[in-house]
Amino acid sequence: MHTKTRLFTLITVLCAASAGLHAQDLSNYTTFQVDGRTVQIHGFVSQGFLGSNDNNYLTTKSSDGSFAFTDFGVNISTQITDKFRVGAQFYDRNLGNLGNWHPQLDWAMGDYKFADWFGVRAGKVKTVLGLFNDTQDMEFLHTWAILPQSMYPLDLRASTIAHTGGDVYGNIRLKKFGDLSYTGYAGLQSFDKYGGYVYGLVNDGLTLRGLAAKQYGVDLRWNNLLPGLLFGVSYLHAPTSSVTATIQVAPTVIFPFGIKDQQNTAAYYGEYKFRNLTLDGEYRRQILTGTENVGPLPAILFGEDGRGGYASAAYRVSKRLELGTYHSRFYPLWPASQGAANHMFDTVATAKIDLVGRWDLKIEGHFMDGYGTYYSFRGFYPQDNPAGLKPRTNLLVIRTGWNF
Amino acid sequence: MKRTSILLGACSLFAAVVALPADFKVIANSSVSSSSISADELKDVFLLTKNSFGGGHAEPVLEKGGATHEAFVKSYLGKTDTALQTYYRSLVFTGKASMPKTLAADTEVVAYVAKTKGAIGYVSASAATEGVKTLEVK
Repeated sequence: MHTKTRLFTLITVLCAASAGLHAQDLSNYTTFQVDGRTVQIHGFVSQGFLGSNDNNYLTTKSSDGSFAFTDFGVNISTQITDKFRVGAQFYDRNLGNLGNWHPQLDWAMGDYKFADWFGVRAGKVKTVLGLFNDTQDMEFLHTWAILPQSMYPLDLRASTIAHTGGDVYGNIRLKKFGDLSYTGYAGLQSFDKYGGYVYGLVNDGLTLRGLAAKQYGVDLRWNNLLPGLLFGVSYLHAPTSSVTATIQVAPTVIFPFGIKDQQNTAAYYGEYKFRNLTLDGEYRRQILTGTENVGPLPAILFGEDGRGGYASAAYRVSKRLELGTYHSRFYPLWPASQGAANHMFDTVATAKIDLVGRWDLKIEGHFMDGYGTYYSFRGFYPQDNPAGLKPRTNLLVIRTGWNF
Repeated sequence: MKRTSILLGACSLFAAVVALPADFKVIANSSVSSSSISADELKDVFLLTKNSFGGGHAEPVLEKGGATHEAFVKSYLGKTDTALQTYYRSLVFTGKASMPKTLAADTEVVAYVAKTKGAIGYVSASAATEGVKTLEVK
């Protein structure tokens, strides 16, 4: 079927379905009692379309128009006692050559809240890093069809999305000065063998066998120093990341390949909401230092300083319509950031339409300059663009989603 | 004359603003020991950052839309209903909280608060509140 026809059909079907579902109160079916306890089930699904002028983006065939941009998640939770809650969420996606419909345990944890200012979560826990790291998969929470990729790369989501370990968290009210939220965490980093990191390494002839990384971090956010104002800082430290892979150096010769590195990531962010206007800004710096080992060859020392950030503005024009724009910049190797192969800039304009019920539809234009380095693994991959990457990319994204 | 008109206008505007909280009342289960709650505490309970109040567990109970709900959310939570629902969903889908109980009408809220230990809700000022206590908001 022709791409335009498929797109029109999709939107028509989704709109019709949304109207039908709006007529029902799903909470009657998704909240129920088991053994005297209230159990809640919630979920979401989204479908997107990507169309670009030249370069193929996010491992899709976007230059031909691609619908390979689907994700969904479902969670279940219950309050065991007044202070103890348990829950879990599964997540699945198909984004071009990533995800490939392999479901993942997104989070699964027990949460014990000793007091308002101190609680503990343990299990697989979403990582708090910047404004939206933990909510980046839920398109319905955001104005944008695609969040700024300088901070929240769709292909590398697994590298920061969650950790298996624990959090301490709490909220401290500062009377006239708003309140302070804190989260401290420690655990093992997530690894997605269907993600962009593995996909990118394949192009280098590397087959990734495993990735082990402990990570520790903290997030502090100061809410409502002035009404609607939030600012915060996050820090993530991964003292020893170990990548184990193999590389074929000759038709019958395969060498072990290893990377041992240390990561330090700092993020600074702010948000201001005034009436229908929301302003966001974030800046992140990630420093990697380590060694690469290829077979019997001497270790190679390396160091990378990646920096990125964005500024955004969104305005709710009416109950159903929100308009927004952002400008995002990513420099994989600071300060050597001149030229398309060393930076990624993205200027975006979005219209978000809230349809009936909990359906939304977003139409978004991306005007991108640059594609990053060979090792950026952010949207642009040589194997998806065998004719070479062009310095500029214009991209249309249409995304619709529903949640309950 | 002009000064009197401005004064009357200002008084009307002030009356309109301060009249909002009087459109509803905050109610609690009889297990809640306190007879009053501060605006900050009320906000924290409904934003799920505070789950204890008056010597025990606190459970917020919301109304599903309507003038009372809109007035309460705007007056004490400083959000629109759309922003509040987005906030709740950001917690639910990251595992940080469950969706709070939401009911359709004053009578349902009163009935639920009356039977649920630690429940705190709001109803229109004219609603009958038998079986629950009314909290003064300071």
